[in-house]
Amino acid sequence: MTSRERVLAVLAGEKPDTVPIVPVIDGWFAPKVIGRKNDECFLDGICLADALAASLEKFGYDGAVAEMGLGPQPNVLGCPVEIEGNDVPLVVDTIVGGREDLDKVRMPDPWAGGKMEPVRRLVETGHDGDRFVIGSVRSPFEYAATVRGLIGFMTDFYADPDFVHQLIAAVKPATIAVGMALAETGVDAIVMKDSFASSSMISPDHYREFVFPYEAQAIGELKESVPVILHVCRNSMPILADMAQTGAAVLEMDSPVDLGAARPLVGAGIVLKGNIDADAVVEKGGVADIEAAVKAAMDAAKQEGGFILSTGDSVSVEAPEENVAALVRFGRQYGGYLND
Amino acid sequence: MTELLDQFEHAVVAGDADKSAGIARAIAEGALATPDEVFEHLGSAMEKVGSKYETGEYFVPEMLRSAEAVRLAIELLEPYLFTRGRDQSGVIVMGTVKGDIHNIGKNIIVLALRAAGYDVHDLGVNVSTMKFIKAVKETSCDILMLSAFTTSTKVALLDVLTALEREGLRDRVKVVSGGASHSEEFAAEVGVDAFARDVKSALAVCRELLQR
Ligand code: B12
Repeated sequence: MTSRERVLAVLAGEKPDTVPIVPVIDGWFAPKVIGRKNDECFLDGICLADALAASLEKFGYDGAVAEMGLGPQPNVLGCPVEIEGNDVPLVVDTIVGGREDLDKVRMPDPWAGGKMEPVRRLVETGHDGDRFVIGSVRSPFEYAATVRGLIGFMTDFYADPDFVHQLIAAVKPATIAVGMALAETGVDAIVMKDSFASSSMISPDHYREFVFPYEAQAIGELKESVPVILHVCRNSMPILADMAQTGAAVLEMDSPVDLGAARPLVGAGIVLKGNIDADAVVEKGGVADIEAAVKAAMDAAKQEGGFILSTGDSVSVEAPEENVAALVRFGRQYGGYLND
Repeated sequence: MTELLDQFEHAVVAGDADKSAGIARAIAEGALATPDEVFEHLGSAMEKVGSKYETGEYFVPEMLRSAEAVRLAIELLEPYLFTRGRDQSGVIVMGTVKGDIHNIGKNIIVLALRAAGYDVHDLGVNVSTMKFIKAVKETSCDILMLSAFTTSTKVALLDVLTALEREGLRDRVKVVSGGASHSEEFAAEVGVDAFARDVKSALAVCRELLQR
């Protein structure tokens, strides 16, 4: 099987030859593979596309996450963004101070200024090498938190919940527009990032009130065109059963989730993707830690099928390249289905 | 009186800002409690809020709700607390280091310290070394508190410590660090005087450092 066939097989509910490996390697790690700094690549999306392709080629995992770069940041709906050296982009200001600013939210044109070119380029090189390519978009909840600022946004949960709903509803079209544009570039799937939705940040009740309805609506529209991977940072265990109802084909889980306990919560038919600790294991661990973590993940989730080995979150620029190589090596060593 | 103060504390823990503001007004108008008593109860309230977060009963919005109640209460009480000549517990400068914009944990610690009576200068996020040094000089603070959430901020932390040395300020100010993905070992490697993991330990560390 080629890499792409392997991931597609899992999405189709079939058994691949070996567990696919698609770590969350994005613009935080990939630029160093081609000897560039993160800021160079975020400001020039083509550099980013080439870095992501080079990382894919170098380490031989099965799929890449395509980012759009920073110049054309539709992600933040016009919030000012800064980047320096090997840092990640920082959103340095918000645009919605309160109700009165609701009309300041403008919809991005996903195609303007060649924004989708880097994604197209990665789709092309990725597919030439028979790899799976994933586009990336923010959820309505995350867009809303970003334009409002996370603290103000979460203060409004109690102070002005109606406004929270209005704001999320107002930015939902952005998620859908960017998602549809990504689908048109030919990506194989889209990952919808919901970084603040987990029970490490908000209660499961607030997830059900403010996140789920909009997540489900956006995924409902996008999945007509392309399968959706739902990513929630940190501990999503208490809301996994809800996430399984959003229509997402894949749930991407961060390291605090117990992989073995996740399957009964989500039921059959949904693919689980996770969840090696990007920080403690891939960045700070050694090769032996990687082996132990990969083996534990396989033990917990491989046999049931419907599993993609991944990091729980983005791999950082500080992560040693040999650790990424080890992740792939042990993923292959412990991931095979044929000889079991 | 203890009953009113208990209600005050309870209202802050519950995030009932209307109620805590009402009590704050009553205290200020009727001089119903000493500034020390007020700070003791507000500090204790934020410590309880922090514990509820640690045990999973509260999440971030609930902590922010209580922090907002504290902010409002202090605003209402401020003239009273100052004219009554409060026992200044200490001056603290706090900020999130360069390259890092996480501010939720920092803001909560700032409010908890203010609640406990400290005079806290919050420099915000993505704060340059120069800005920290300037503030340390201008405020003659007792403690410099550095929030750092990502491991890549180690360089920024070291830079602040080196600059303090260079400016001859290192012996005059205690440096405390904290933040997610931060550990005791990480703090020791960087060379700060103390590290704290949560609201409760941050308050305890400041108390201890100022007693010495
Ligand atoms: C919310 C969040 C964000 C938000 C921040 C919004 C905001 N306004 O703050 C956004 C989306 C912007 C963000 C961005 C990023 N984040 Co972030 N983020 C988080 C998250 C999920 C929660 C942090 C939080 O607010 N928690 C709630 C508060 C109350 O807890 P706290 O911050 O720990 O604070 C407490 C204590 O630490 C302590 N404390 C805090 N400061 C201080 C200071 C002192 C002196 C003391 C004594 C105590 C103290 O008291 C607080 C109260 O209990 C954490 C994960 C986590 N579980 O912590 C990741 C996390 C901190 N982020 C992480 C990362 C990697 C990033 C990014 C690099 C992601 C990326 N690839 O883009 C960027 C970096 C941006 C930058 N350079 O700053 C990592 C850091 C890992 C690492 N090794 O570096 C974490 C740990 C997640 C993870 N495991 O991967 N993030």
